[in-house]
Amino acid sequence: MNARRIVMSMFVLTGSLMTPLAAHHSGTMFEEKKTVTLEGVVKEFQYTNPHSWLLIDVTNKDGSVTTWGFEAEGPSTLARAGIKPSDFAPGTRISITGRPMKDGRPAATWEYAVRAKDKKRFDPREGFRVK
Amino acid sequence: MTRVTKIVLAALLALVLTAALVWSARSEDPAQRKARMIALGLQHKTAAELYRALQQEAGGGQRLAWNAMPDWSGVYTRARGGITFDPDQRPGTPPTAKLTPEYQGRLTKRIELANQGVEWDPISACAPPGHPRWLTEPFLREFIVTPDQAWLINEMVNDIRRVYTDGRQHVPEADRYPLYNGDSIGFWDGSRLVIHTNQLQAGIYQRRNPDYTNAVETVEIWEKTTGTLLEVDVWVYDPPALVEPWYTRQSYSKLDDPDKSLRIRYWNCGENQNNTVFETQGGATQFKDLTFTGQDDAKGATK
Repeated sequence: MNARRIVMSMFVLTGSLMTPLAAHHSGTMFEEKKTVTLEGVVKEFQYTNPHSWLLIDVTNKDGSVTTWGFEAEGPSTLARAGIKPSDFAPGTRISITGRPMKDGRPAATWEYAVRAKDKKRFDPREGFRVK
Repeated sequence: MTRVTKIVLAALLALVLTAALVWSARSEDPAQRKARMIALGLQHKTAAELYRALQQEAGGGQRLAWNAMPDWSGVYTRARGGITFDPDQRPGTPPTAKLTPEYQGRLTKRIELANQGVEWDPISACAPPGHPRWLTEPFLREFIVTPDQAWLINEMVNDIRRVYTDGRQHVPEADRYPLYNGDSIGFWDGSRLVIHTNQLQAGIYQRRNPDYTNAVETVEIWEKTTGTLLEVDVWVYDPPALVEPWYTRQSYSKLDDPDKSLRIRYWNCGENQNNTVFETQGGATQFKDLTFTGQDDAKGATK
């Protein structure tokens, strides 16, 4: 991985991370315990069923750009988590953390994201909380 | 004591006893209640037999008029259980079903493989979950009750179970064929909706949960137990896979929606190429071709 800032870390599984991607496929293609945190600029927010994808452009050390995809649940779960399409308009600067794919492709689960302009945190799994 | 006095006293005694029974049932410890429900399932050899017994107990059941329908309006989601079939299954423990040796072996293998990262969910190809798995999906739900039908709606893949409460019977046995959600008939017993479902097709209760077969049938009793909670007693009968009926209590919470923002939309499982997965030769799940990677992932070639 050539991303400009990648922090790979092993950490103890939390309840949040143990929640699988529930909508339609197993999450076993993703690492269970490793996470990656990237800073980048939103390229596209695919607000779709059964999973949404947040695509961000990450500038690597050599100046090249890699597009990463972060997978979350679908629109109704995101809406319940307070995550709207307008929160991640193209060009929005964010930091995002997820569990990367085991095969090295630039994709990961979306565990949480922090928007640079206001430090607001977005956790898709909040959408499963029963209030 | 006059005859009238005796009748009044007898009526009062009956009232007190009924109230005591109701109070006792309502204050019953959840574990005691569960044991009673399990025992009820064991008293009947088939789901059809249990359904008939419940119907008899309800005096044949009722067909409610429009003005007598309970208020099940609103948007709900599963209250407990995550994506395990039995909400009482504790984390790190196996499913609570009592399985035949063959199906216990299948489950053990499934969990072992999943622990090794090898897992394939049949809904990954966009098939609906099917019932009884339908009970477990963690998305939005609506429950529409009318005198002739109840519609039990799961947002996922626009999935509707229709429960016929107009007095019709099941499809004749010779004409039955496997269906994802089966054929459901039901009756009202006061505010409780009792449902029998047959004509189902094989599936899994959930990931890391057992298989069920084409022989699976269920009996459910749905009731709104508080202003915001629908609770369901469920008995699953499936002799090839279960050595005894699997009783669970499912529940669905009505979600707060003060700004009326919760809306169930059409769910097209195939609308985004990035969600297309396939089963590898080893039985694992893999993305087919992510659109943003700049290469044809399936072939490893540059686009």
